[in-house]
Amino acid sequence: MSRSMLAIIKKDIQGITANKRMLSVLFIVPLVLTIFIPSMFLLLTHFIPEQQAELTRLVEMLPVSVQGELPLRVLAELLLNYLMPPFFLLIPIMTSSVMSATSFVGEKEKRTLETLLYSPLSLGQIFRAKVCAAFFLSIAVSAVSFGVMLAVVEVESCLLGGSLAAPDWKWLLILLLVSPAVSLIAITLIVRFSAKAQSVEDAQQGAVFLILPVLFLFVGQFTGVLLISGWLLLGIGLVCAGLAAVLLRRAMGSFHYEKLLK
Amino acid sequence: MNAVAMNGLTKAYAGGKLAVDAVSLTLEPGEVFGFLGPNGAGKTTTVKLLEGMLAPSGGSCRVFDTDPAREPEKVHALSGVVTEHAQMYDNLTGMQNLLFFGDLYGLSVTESRSRAGELLAQLELAEAKDQRLATYSTGMRQRLSLARALMHRPKILFLDEPTSGLDPESAQNVHRLIRSLAEEEGTTVFLCTHQLRYAQEVCTRYGLMAQGRLLALGALDALREASGQGMTARVRAKAAPESFVPFRTAPEEYLLPLSSEDQLPQIARSVIENGGELYQLSTQLPSLEDVYFALTQKEANL
Repeated sequence: MSRSMLAIIKKDIQGITANKRMLSVLFIVPLVLTIFIPSMFLLLTHFIPEQQAELTRLVEMLPVSVQGELPLRVLAELLLNYLMPPFFLLIPIMTSSVMSATSFVGEKEKRTLETLLYSPLSLGQIFRAKVCAAFFLSIAVSAVSFGVMLAVVEVESCLLGGSLAAPDWKWLLILLLVSPAVSLIAITLIVRFSAKAQSVEDAQQGAVFLILPVLFLFVGQFTGVLLISGWLLLGIGLVCAGLAAVLLRRAMGSFHYEKLLK
Repeated sequence: MNAVAMNGLTKAYAGGKLAVDAVSLTLEPGEVFGFLGPNGAGKTTTVKLLEGMLAPSGGSCRVFDTDPAREPEKVHALSGVVTEHAQMYDNLTGMQNLLFFGDLYGLSVTESRSRAGELLAQLELAEAKDQRLATYSTGMRQRLSLARALMHRPKILFLDEPTSGLDPESAQNVHRLIRSLAEEEGTTVFLCTHQLRYAQEVCTRYGLMAQGRLLALGALDALREASGQGMTARVRAKAAPESFVPFRTAPEEYLLPLSSEDQLPQIARSVIENGGELYQLSTQLPSLEDVYFALTQKEANL
């Protein structure tokens, strides 16, 4: 990667981090998802045990057999390994959508894209640099969010139940495969859409649809119809990665100066 | 090698509107070329074609022997562009903007920093260099754009209305800079403007555009000839000879066609021999503006 491309990546990331409004948008959702939701769940189930009844169906499907009242450790593991993953996938989707909408449509809107196009970088290089910037940021926010979530769950599990909850190996799949693939899909879709979008808001509204598939995972998980197994997760991850590769290639081909400056 | 060569360059937009209609011209390196015409004459489209932002619908163009439609990056590496559509980043300071573009053009950090400092001083932006671009006035932005376009010492500079929005003093300053670039560094300048008076101060050769077509091409003298507008003698006199009457522009003021300065003594003599009184006698050359209007008028009459 050339120094010029690194300059664009640095500029794009700084453009987001220097903008307080953008930064708060980027952090509110992850904070709610990684601190508020797990805490509410653990506190409610701990202090109001009747809540547990709702979870029985889900717990019955788990590879652990528990009689009577559930120990907090089991609840914490249930939360961490079965309920949080779909929530967690919203983070890369959102981060990469916000970032790519700003870095593509934002530049078009503020008329800085044309200046960038007059540079000696090829369109492909500019495109790759911008995708990288959005991708790096998305991965970074996801990693930080995971760390925060793990810390919150462990601390609360220790304080309330006296033992640590063990994170599943499936998290590795999520962090290393599913979440990066989902980020790339979100970025390329936004970029494709951004060729037509006239404002950042337009592009961000388009991104809302990306959340739909994740919603299906939610519903499946909560109703107990679909329990995400390691294999299913691996399958989802591979499909997403394949899709991302195809979309990325096609988005690159559809790039022309004339189209971008319209 | 020509700095710019256009051969029947044509661009039709969707809907069939011909923005540029079979324009052919060449530019020598180091020339300051004025590409003149009203808004909508096709000047900006021509620049976009030369930068490879648009693909020609007919004909071809080359910049230092590189086809911008095929290898736009190469053309970008040796050219600098200032247009009102190419803005910079509001959230960065003037200096940060220049350093970013220095990076893009492959300058080293130290090179970038010293070049930026030099240009900011030359364009009177040194004091504002650490202010965010959001606080800049239109004129300051325009000057910073020029600095940005000059960061990598381009061989050719495309300037699309570089002095629109500038006060006369900064416009003068920008013109001085353009001229010194051409004279000292041999930079070729392709200057698009509708401000004919300014163009006359800086350019060595002109192309006159109207509705996508090149009406005339050449140095001012050639254009004067083409327009049929020659030298005139401005005479202010009382009781001038009868023969002056058809050329009267005001009471006691006449504008006589002149083929050479040698005719002036003859004019003075004829006034005095006629018993008149001569107050003023001077030669006058048609300005670029006069020539431009004469040429567009001629075109309209065809």
